[in-house]
Amino acid sequence: MSKTRKLVFMALLTALELTIWVIEGQIPAPIPVPGVKLGLASVITLTAMAALGRKEAGVILLARILLGTLFAGSPAAMLFSLAGGALSWAVMAALIGAFPEKLMWVVSVFGAIGHNAGQLLAALLVTGTPGILWYGPALLAAAIVTGVFTGLGAMYLTRALRAYTGRK
Amino acid sequence: MKGKTWKGKSAFWAGLFAALALGGLGLYLLHPGGTRAALYIDGELYDTIDLAAVAAPYERTIQSEWGWNTIRVSHGAIQVVDADCPGHDCVQQGAISDGAIPIVCLPHRLVIEIEQDDE
Repeated sequence: MSKTRKLVFMALLTALELTIWVIEGQIPAPIPVPGVKLGLASVITLTAMAALGRKEAGVILLARILLGTLFAGSPAAMLFSLAGGALSWAVMAALIGAFPEKLMWVVSVFGAIGHNAGQLLAALLVTGTPGILWYGPALLAAAIVTGVFTGLGAMYLTRALRAYTGRK
Repeated sequence: MKGKTWKGKSAFWAGLFAALALGGLGLYLLHPGGTRAALYIDGELYDTIDLAAVAAPYERTIQSEWGWNTIRVSHGAIQVVDADCPGHDCVQQGAISDGAIPIVCLPHRLVIEIEQDDE
């Protein structure tokens, strides 16, 4: 892929991820547990990682967090996005090479667990209330369920984009 | 794991994750309930309210350096009804009456938990 093509593709993915993230934020949570959401935007992060590379996925994610904060967030929420995003990215970057494409959902589940762990740790630091760690097991269960769905979504999207990216 | 097909590996991971999810959910639901609401601001205990002793519901506003939250206290339950935070996550959560989920207002560093009254 040429440099320009890649840049355009990254910009497209950033716009996609931002749009998904903003729209998902407008939908009332189906489960009355704060912090639990499907996390559809992570489909793009994982797809970018599989189709372009780890570094490119990180840049797209960071751009989405910064732009998302400008459009629909607050500085306090950005801290949580960054904590969750960073841990999720690190976990997926470490694992994506170890699993075949058909098992991309496993990588996604670990990424979702990393995301929720990062957010919980940030909440622990901000509130200084160890009691919220009780919330951990629920977030673990939620991450597993949502991670499977976003992982499958990323797998199909990566396949569909192969004709465009040319990456095997 | 070596030599197994991707289907075998899928089954392995699916089983492991299912067990973890169920375990997490179980552990979470096992969290002991109680009747005493504890309010924390920035990690420090601000107030406790014995919800079992509340006869008539009342509202009160908690002011801290980060902002205010109006809480409604009723018999056995507590909720945030209004706040000057941007997200209103704590308001949308509604009333809590057991120890499972604390109300957390992150911008105001406010945590409302229901604890076991064991004193």
